[in-house]
Amino acid sequence: MKRILSAVLVVCLLGGIGLGLAAAPIKIGICKIVEHPALDAVEQGVIDALTAAGYVQGVDVEYLLASAQGDPGTAVTIAQNYQTRGVSLVVAIATPTAQAAVQVFRGTATPIIYAAVTDPVGAGLVLSATDPSRNGNVTGVSDMIPVASHLQLLRDLGAAIRKVGMVYNPGEANSVILTTLAQEAAPGLGLEIVTAPADSTANVPMAAQSLIGRVDAYYVTTDNAVVSAIDSVLAASEEAGVPFLVADPTSLAHATMSAGFDYYQHGLLVGDVVLRVLAGARPDTLPVTYQARAEVQLNLDQAARIGLAFPQAVIDAASAVYFGGATWERKSE
Amino acid sequence: MATLLMHAIEQGLAYGIAALGVFLTYRILQFPDLTVDGSFVTGAAVASILILNGGDPFLALAAAFAAGAAAGLVTGFLNARLGVANLLAGVLTMIMLYSINLRIMGRPNLSLLRASTATQIVDGAWTGLGPLAVLAFIALVTLAVKLATDFFLRTEIGFALRASGDSEAMVGAYGVDVRTAKMVGLALSNGLVALSGALVAQYSGFADIGMGIGTIVTGLAAVILGGSLIRTRRVGWMTTAVLVGSLLYRIAVALALRYGYVVGFQASDLKLITAVLVLVALVIPAVRERQLRKVSSC
Repeated sequence: MKRILSAVLVVCLLGGIGLGLAAAPIKIGICKIVEHPALDAVEQGVIDALTAAGYVQGVDVEYLLASAQGDPGTAVTIAQNYQTRGVSLVVAIATPTAQAAVQVFRGTATPIIYAAVTDPVGAGLVLSATDPSRNGNVTGVSDMIPVASHLQLLRDLGAAIRKVGMVYNPGEANSVILTTLAQEAAPGLGLEIVTAPADSTANVPMAAQSLIGRVDAYYVTTDNAVVSAIDSVLAASEEAGVPFLVADPTSLAHATMSAGFDYYQHGLLVGDVVLRVLAGARPDTLPVTYQARAEVQLNLDQAARIGLAFPQAVIDAASAVYFGGATWERKSE
Repeated sequence: MATLLMHAIEQGLAYGIAALGVFLTYRILQFPDLTVDGSFVTGAAVASILILNGGDPFLALAAAFAAGAAAGLVTGFLNARLGVANLLAGVLTMIMLYSINLRIMGRPNLSLLRASTATQIVDGAWTGLGPLAVLAFIALVTLAVKLATDFFLRTEIGFALRASGDSEAMVGAYGVDVRTAKMVGLALSNGLVALSGALVAQYSGFADIGMGIGTIVTGLAAVILGGSLIRTRRVGWMTTAVLVGSLLYRIAVALALRYGYVVGFQASDLKLITAVLVLVALVIPAVRERQLRKVSSC
């Protein structure tokens, strides 16, 4: 009888411990600066990467999802809220959100993983992109895009392209960096960049129209304000009869061609970094991660509309084409 | 909870200085001034650039005030001298400031994370206060600003300012030009807003071109919320009410973030919950007053 009792007791104890473990999932705070398709995709990518690695939501991990709704001041409050709720790790999506998290968690051991930050060194998040030893508890993934190779792509379309028009928001840190990089890379490729600033989505149509007749191609990077009004750039490029390259594959249907990665893939990559940190890797051993692969997608419908025939080499390099109102992926052999 | 409340008070006081600026124009001058969405960033930009170039972070607050005051003078000039309608004058200066702020900063986002800011110096120096050091510093700055504002409103020109909001004919009686009074009021108001922006930038660890959007909205919320809770015609109490309003607003944001999820709200609902909490704080005293009146009339 005694033995049965003690056996029951042991089972209860073990069960209790088991329940205790199950009842305390790790808390991860994921904060983005604003609701935006690209940033939402990053958030989803992070969660999916963790789920795929066996972190069951609600059991192993609890996500504290937040959006600063466009206000950098609120980003600070969100980070402070994460601190009081004792999160084990913060994923901060976009530059001001990451800066707020780094400021609030200064001097603590909580790892900060930033995402969708183009220039983490310029943003003061880390001291060095390659040597992480003095970067403290901060690491992450940059969404820097290979601007020079994008311009080369336009160059590959034909000798007629000399002037490239860029519509960009001078108020977006990421966009300004990419525009500057394009201006630096253009002369080496025999190109000239003509810029048209638009400080808000509402001003994008006018900026795009101002380039009609002055440029041989349009190029838009990962600029939030401009991508939100991408159809107005498309309309302008169509009116001018020139190709339009956008550095965002999810916008392929709204451009002549697109290059780069999509933000869901970016989120998966961020998720990988999170997993490494959860597995015990210290952030100050992880250098800035860059998204390596840049794929090219072509919109054949739009090319037909402006009378553009893609050179065979460009078609051969494309990972997908948009034709007849649908996207067709190249099958990997 | 205590930590969250502490941070909410820090921000409530820091943004409270901007609310005092909005109070000066909206309540005292009866001038709805939209310049503040731009001058808030101007303050942050000027202070950040000075600090990043090795300037003193405390003097940077004063420099921010001066820059904001200059912006206010522009709005005042447009309205009082060129006859541009008050709303439009503010809007025009705000738009101009967007470009000017980008010029000052050189880029849309400046990081102060690796710089020596006032809040960091204070955090390192006033170790006796522990985690309350930053709060104490912000409270001191805000108190100084509040007392200076009170003092100013009791001076001769301050009286003229208050009179010009009530009736422009009255001002002549004080021997002060209405237009001059307006310009002084706008300069002072935007100086305070810029000072607030400089303080918030140092506290947050960065200045961003987007950080000023909604300054007029949160400022007005604080002024009206405080004014409805503390009904008074005495200057000292009026400015206190503004700061109380600002504190309540930030506490509402913190509460919405902390407990919103408990009742099933999503991240995207934040602004809605904040607005509802402010509304509740606004309506409760009004309802209670009505009940009191009912009781007394029985």
